[in-house]
Amino acid sequence: MFRNYLITFWRNIIKNGIFSVINIFGLAIGLMSCILIMLFVRQESDFDTWLKDHTQLVRMHTAYTMPNQEPFETVRSAGSMMEAIRDYAKNEVETGVRLIQFGMTVRQNENVFPEEFTMVDGSFFKIFDLPFMHGTQESSFKKPMDLVITEELAYKYFGKSDVIGETLTVCCVAGNTTDLTITGVMKDLPDATHLNTDMVIYLQPALFSENDGMLNTWTSLNVYTYFKLSPGIIPQQLQDRITSWMNNESPLIKMFSNLLGDKSTGKKVTDLLSLYIMPVADLHLNAKSQAGNMGDLTPMGDSKMITTFIIVAGLVLLIACINFMNLSTAKASKRAREVAMRKVLGASRTQVAIQFLGEAIALVLLSLLFALVAVELALPLYNEVLGKELSLHLFDEPSLLFTLIGLAICVGIGAGIYPALYLSRFLPGKILKSSKSVESKSSAKFRSVLVVFQFATSIILVISTLVVYGQTIFSNNMAVGYESDNKLVLNIQSAGDNLASLKQELLNLPEVTSVVFSSEAPSQDNENNNYFNLLEPHANGNANEDTLVNYHNMGYGFFEAYQVKPLAGRLFNEDFGLDTIKQVAENEIGQSSVVLNHSALKKYGFSSAQEAIGKTLASDIRGMQHLTIIGVIPDIYFRSIKFGVRASVYTLNPERFRVANISFSTDNMPNLMRNIESVWNNNVPMQPINLQFLSEMMAAQYHDELTTAQLFLVFSLIAIVIACLGLYGLSAFTVERRTKEIGIRKVMGASIKDIVALLIWQFSKPVVLANLIAWPIAAYLMLTWLEGFPYRIGAIWLVPICLGVGLLSLMIAWSTVGSNAAKVARKNPIKALRYE
Amino acid sequence: MLKLHNLTRVYQTEDVETSALNNVNIEIAQGEFVAIMGPSGCGKSTLLNTIGMLDSPTSGDYIFNGENVAGYPEKQLSVIRKHNIGFIFQNFNLIDELTVAENIEMALIYHKIPAAERKAKVEKVMDKVGIAHRAKHLPSQLSGGQQQRVAVARAVVGDQKMILADEPTGNLDSAHGQEVMEMLQALNDEGTTIVMVTHSPAHADYARRTINLFDGHVVAESVRVAEKTA
Repeated sequence: MFRNYLITFWRNIIKNGIFSVINIFGLAIGLMSCILIMLFVRQESDFDTWLKDHTQLVRMHTAYTMPNQEPFETVRSAGSMMEAIRDYAKNEVETGVRLIQFGMTVRQNENVFPEEFTMVDGSFFKIFDLPFMHGTQESSFKKPMDLVITEELAYKYFGKSDVIGETLTVCCVAGNTTDLTITGVMKDLPDATHLNTDMVIYLQPALFSENDGMLNTWTSLNVYTYFKLSPGIIPQQLQDRITSWMNNESPLIKMFSNLLGDKSTGKKVTDLLSLYIMPVADLHLNAKSQAGNMGDLTPMGDSKMITTFIIVAGLVLLIACINFMNLSTAKASKRAREVAMRKVLGASRTQVAIQFLGEAIALVLLSLLFALVAVELALPLYNEVLGKELSLHLFDEPSLLFTLIGLAICVGIGAGIYPALYLSRFLPGKILKSSKSVESKSSAKFRSVLVVFQFATSIILVISTLVVYGQTIFSNNMAVGYESDNKLVLNIQSAGDNLASLKQELLNLPEVTSVVFSSEAPSQDNENNNYFNLLEPHANGNANEDTLVNYHNMGYGFFEAYQVKPLAGRLFNEDFGLDTIKQVAENEIGQSSVVLNHSALKKYGFSSAQEAIGKTLASDIRGMQHLTIIGVIPDIYFRSIKFGVRASVYTLNPERFRVANISFSTDNMPNLMRNIESVWNNNVPMQPINLQFLSEMMAAQYHDELTTAQLFLVFSLIAIVIACLGLYGLSAFTVERRTKEIGIRKVMGASIKDIVALLIWQFSKPVVLANLIAWPIAAYLMLTWLEGFPYRIGAIWLVPICLGVGLLSLMIAWSTVGSNAAKVARKNPIKALRYE
Repeated sequence: MLKLHNLTRVYQTEDVETSALNNVNIEIAQGEFVAIMGPSGCGKSTLLNTIGMLDSPTSGDYIFNGENVAGYPEKQLSVIRKHNIGFIFQNFNLIDELTVAENIEMALIYHKIPAAERKAKVEKVMDKVGIAHRAKHLPSQLSGGQQQRVAVARAVVGDQKMILADEPTGNLDSAHGQEVMEMLQALNDEGTTIVMVTHSPAHADYARRTINLFDGHVVAESVRVAEKTA
């Protein structure tokens, strides 16, 4: 019996030619889309599950909710927290570790290589049980400054794997070039990890003794803190203990009481500062939504994006399945006679249904083969768009192969069940003698419903794609408040004391028009908060009340270089002499200047920019300072506009300068880049240059949105192609079925145009209806999505987008159906009638 | 073998009620060769479909081998049908995608007969009807007469006790039509009951008894006295 079914299935495929191709092709690209998305989702969801005991590994995040301040969340924590919590929660915690990430350079011969180093407590390998190639955890990590590297780096620097005992010259550890001895080599980390620990150094706390803000602090958030839970303990138990410690025993109780004074009455520490536990395996996808400020060790994933793409994959596959259902039921009359005869010969309805269900599964499995080939061909481009290294190694991962086969079988059942039930219900008596069509009104109507659903889904996808693209373009091009063209950003952290000569030599280059220093360039918006207390009484509070504000450091000429004009007062000017913050002794008060942005005016309760000029802010920067407000500038967007703008103050503290903002005017960019690199090498030898276009840095802020838009576009197009394939197949079949009617109409006098119009109108109705259904759904979804952006395209844009997509969908439908219609309309009517 | 008692079949569409059979009473014994004749639309095919359990009566009784199958569901009817009744149609109703041998074998695949036994039966019956040399051909490669021979082979390969033939010679020329009639005669001589609908008086003469229908009623029955010779 199985052989009979197989023979029938295969010969029907060959016989039906174009319909078989449409079915197989549609299913193949639907499966291909599913598999590509599945590979991405699988890798994103599996991050860090390869770690031993990963269910017992957690990281601690910090959230500030201080009164009158913006809430602030980060994946980092304060350096003193780990030991205190580890000692307090002895039952819940087996051990803890802190990680500090540094960018340093490795010097070898005449070359310098930038690398990421991670300094960790000695317990690191007790928490992260990373496999070693040479040496062991115990032998390789015994004392401070022991260095363990990955095998990849061992080959990079030494051309071999066993490099225990070799030395790497590193700049800079606590400001000094140091030789570090390699004590162990570990296996390369898999791609699916949030860790960025190719070079692990045993932390030497003494290195930070002059800078207590790094390790011995309860408030500065500079370390990543991890705990390994004791066996049998769940994260919530540790979370409860931490909350208990914060509110009952931690030094933060007294600190906040001193800070807030009377305002602290009735408040718990956790009302102001919270520490959250998150399992390590959840970090990649979920840390962003909880603590997305300041990024993470590696680029963070986004669980919302994953969910969106799972839905898109499901919809594309559903559209392909609907095609199959429609074409199978439309062609039912061709198999009706066979069904009737099988029943005459003794087949039960169940047996006939199983036969057709089996054919559906077999067709999907055949499509899967083509889909796998298509995936392999598409992977290089897909990886490029996503910035990933996804691959399909079916024979190395039998579980993946079985999953795909299982998926194909489920799809086959899902797509085939309706046609199987529909076809198996034919009764032999009605079919074998009768020459009438087996088509019932209800089956034709159901097919129309499916076409409407297909097109509505595709239209929603296309509208969504256009809105996402529109918002991305809008975000990228929105006026940010400063001139960003023709700017290069040079990282000067490793320049040391050579800034003055560096600046002068850069200015000597003919292409360079200005060089200004700052703590950050636009798009490098790090969260830097400090207290800037307005000394004079003001509308929003008392004199000298603690006010935590974000601040940046700008050198002379910064605002002018970016063409930011003051709303009132002036900008930093060397001629005035007092603008720079200078170090002062403990019992002294320094005098310097500060500039506010417009949002800061509101924070301090100034009714106008002019009112702020001449007022004084007190702050502890290099000793106690009184900073005179010399000017107010408009709000400028240092970070992506999706975050809105913060109240900010701008000071001039050369100690904090990290970048040089280079303005240029030239068409010969390669030449300019070479010249700048030459100046850099002259002034800062043995340090790699880090030079970027500001425009590229700004565009990178929208990388996620752009990737989403690109992928949406691709999958929308795939959905439309599949829907059109289905429409083509259905129209071909319908036209074939109406041959007699067309012949009669032509005999009665209908022209080719009349016939084509008749057929096109039949297929226009479901497309028009699909648009009317899709528009409100797409509008609702997109308006909800847009609400997440403080600055967004106007809702009115949805009108032309919907109308445009509607018109496009009709034109696609017409061209798809029209070709079939015209072909039949041109036939001699006698041939059509004789066919009957 | 079978008995129809006050059998009625009414077809109901949205606005129209058509009475195809009206209180039909017929008895057919095992081994009989019965022809059913009448003008177009008199209910011949409906009667044959009812006898063949492809259609169920609206009222009345249908006793088949002592069992009243009139109210049976399709599932039960298909079981009785496959074990007892073979069908031959005017338009052959062969499956276009299957070869001659595969078409004949299809009558056995729903009987849970092992593959080797199926193959032997198919070869035997192909020899019997003289179509073995075309075993691997598709129906589109055969003449009308050859296709009908395949249909006959399919109808008898399962040792069915009764064959229902609905205008078996309707699409054939006289020579091929006669071939088919002689095959049916031979089967009847071996003990198979044949019930045949036909428009041709010459072919009806092969039957021992002829039932005439008109507007769904049995209006006449006649018995042939002399044996039909070729």
